[in-house]
Amino acid sequence: MHQGQTDQLEYYLSSLDELGEVLINADRARSVGSGILRLTLGTIMASKGAIFLYNNNENKLSFLSTKGVETEEPITPSKVLLSSFKKYKHDHALLVGDEKWITGRFKKYSTKLKTKAILPLYHKENLLGLLCVGEKFMGETYTKVDLKILEIIANHLTKALYNYQLIDDVEEKKTELNLKLLELETLFDISIAISSVLDVDELGEEVLWRSVGILNASKGLMLIQKESSPILEPGANFNWGGDMPLLSKKLATFKQIQETNKGVIFSSDTQSTIQKKLKEKNLILAPLKAKEKTQGYMMLCDKETRKGVQPFTDMDLDLLTALCNQAAVAMDNAKLFREITKEKQFNESILGSIATGVITLDTLGEIDSINTAGLNILKTDKEKVVGNHYMYLFEKDEEILELIMLSEAENETKSEQNISLRTVSEDTIINISVAPRIDPEGNKQGLVLAVEDISDVSKVKNTFKRYVSKQVVDELLDDDAKLNLGGEQREVTILFTDIRGFTSMSENMKPERVVTTLNEYFSDMIDIVFKNNGTLDKIIGDELMVLYGAPLSGSDDTNRAVQTAIEMQERIKQLNLERKKRKELPILVGAGINNGLVVSGNIGSRDMMDYTVIGDTVNVASRLCAAAGPGEILVSKTVYEEASATYSFSTLDPIRVKGKAKKVPVFLVKD
Amino acid sequence: MSDFNTETRTEGDIVIIKTSGYLNNVGGEQVSEVCYKEMDAGKKLFLLDLEDSKVVNSIGVSILIEIIEKLQDVDGRLGYYNLAPIVEKTFNIMGLTKYSTVFQSEEEALEGMS
Repeated sequence: MHQGQTDQLEYYLSSLDELGEVLINADRARSVGSGILRLTLGTIMASKGAIFLYNNNENKLSFLSTKGVETEEPITPSKVLLSSFKKYKHDHALLVGDEKWITGRFKKYSTKLKTKAILPLYHKENLLGLLCVGEKFMGETYTKVDLKILEIIANHLTKALYNYQLIDDVEEKKTELNLKLLELETLFDISIAISSVLDVDELGEEVLWRSVGILNASKGLMLIQKESSPILEPGANFNWGGDMPLLSKKLATFKQIQETNKGVIFSSDTQSTIQKKLKEKNLILAPLKAKEKTQGYMMLCDKETRKGVQPFTDMDLDLLTALCNQAAVAMDNAKLFREITKEKQFNESILGSIATGVITLDTLGEIDSINTAGLNILKTDKEKVVGNHYMYLFEKDEEILELIMLSEAENETKSEQNISLRTVSEDTIINISVAPRIDPEGNKQGLVLAVEDISDVSKVKNTFKRYVSKQVVDELLDDDAKLNLGGEQREVTILFTDIRGFTSMSENMKPERVVTTLNEYFSDMIDIVFKNNGTLDKIIGDELMVLYGAPLSGSDDTNRAVQTAIEMQERIKQLNLERKKRKELPILVGAGINNGLVVSGNIGSRDMMDYTVIGDTVNVASRLCAAAGPGEILVSKTVYEEASATYSFSTLDPIRVKGKAKKVPVFLVKD
Repeated sequence: MSDFNTETRTEGDIVIIKTSGYLNNVGGEQVSEVCYKEMDAGKKLFLLDLEDSKVVNSIGVSILIEIIEKLQDVDGRLGYYNLAPIVEKTFNIMGLTKYSTVFQSEEEALEGMS
């Protein structure tokens, strides 16, 4: 081997050494391509060259690296060209001569490159690319060694490209997996949103945004279906811009989705009404359906890629359908929650505004709710009540505890009326009902207590029962309209009775005997008053004042007054027989009755107030009583005129009454 | 939400780009245009304030990856702050956060990028 050959061999070896470094240091196909091309041209002493990458799917030869010529758009090789390359697939270089099968753009480019050697880069049966090298320096011919070196370089380049292709494939798969992971994460997030986001609008927006992002759509709109409306109401939108579309429920697209229960994809190949209406080519629609009920639709436009918009795919529709199914359930839940909340607020507003206290107990007997009226009646705070056992709340009220236990045991409504709520005070009088709480499935959910504070009613009863009969009290309480205690002019009949000579009689009696006598007398008299539905206005010493026609008017007020007086005198006769047996002096009573207009109402101070009547009619009745002898009942002319059809009277001489200029006609009730 | 806009300012050597709108093909291209223009002017450090970009798609992400690759060639860096949880999750899943940094605030971002 002469010196020249030795030098060339060393040069080639150093080139191969550099090739190793290029392969080790390059981290991408592009950098390895540029490094190897530079090395190749330097080794062969050529100025122009190119490395092509072949894409089998697209049948394109694209430029990985060029030297001495500009890169161009990818070239589509002819079938003949590709099949001819196969002859050189096992590390063989083609020395370009006048090959007829090199045609088209590839030939043009080869000419520009002044290609002298082409090395198809085959990995097994797959063409990965081409290494094209131009003329050697000064037009020297390619030697066998040159070709061998080119074949070695091409072999390494093929391995490198194959490896990078593998890496690219892995990267691509990784990206695809990441996108799938993103889809799964989105579905997972929406499933979480089902239980966390309870606002329908917020949820709709969340789901739409996620769907647009995950499907690479350019924009999206949610269409809400309402039974009451023929159009689909635009809901959440993303990137939509401009006016919201007015879409009828009856559009063929929506009918088709309803019938097939499947979403639809529209592309430039289709010509649907909805595409025309929206002026959109690429659309994807899926129903929002929960519990067999379509709530609306999700509509996305234009699937984006780096090369522009594309039609959506069936896989996109599957994903959108899955998202919509999740979203529909979530939105249905949110809607249900909103309705329940609304209903709860409505119920609470009712419970809060009624006067009856409502307390609910759970199955363990713990209080789970109490309304405002309940808190007012119990004079307590919600915090002190809710969560506590009813036994704690009513610990001082055995009667209530027994009632609750009875209702619980017998699973029936139980009630008590007019009982003291000792937890609050002895004076707090309530009516209470305890009823089982049953859910729509018939399961027992606990108890509900209805508590009515009747302390005021009770006070009225207690107050009036001293003056009127129970029947009158009940009548008054049944109809508030009848009860006007504020002051009014009305016609009443007034009966006065007075024990004749009681003052002188009591002077000879022991004080306790005086009280016993009066109690016995008044007890009998008041019984008669109440029996005849009279109103006991007042007791002044031994005098009784009784009203008929106040506070309630009746058609027979005067007759009842006369009847009361007659019964009183009869009872006094019997009483005197008993007194005679006890060797006591008889009680002799005179009575006077008048009828006419009076002013009635609660009269007195804020602390001491009584229902009474005032006016001239009262004075005349009192004067008639004063004028009546023992056992006599004197009545005025108005009484006589009203009662004469029922009772017998004798006419007496008119009498002078204090405050009256003229004498007053007087009539005596006959036995 | 519609349209995409950017506002650019600089804090020392750092270019801050505030975006508003959908970070998709259109949005991504706008961001890359701004970045490449600033890179041509010698800038290497970029921060994206994504407070008003609540939705991003994979095309937007791929454009950001291209920007990162170009920045790597010049030893530059890209960071983000004010990310919506869904955007941060997307960046994580798509592997963006391996080559760029997510900060919680502008203050933290400026400190982390300097």
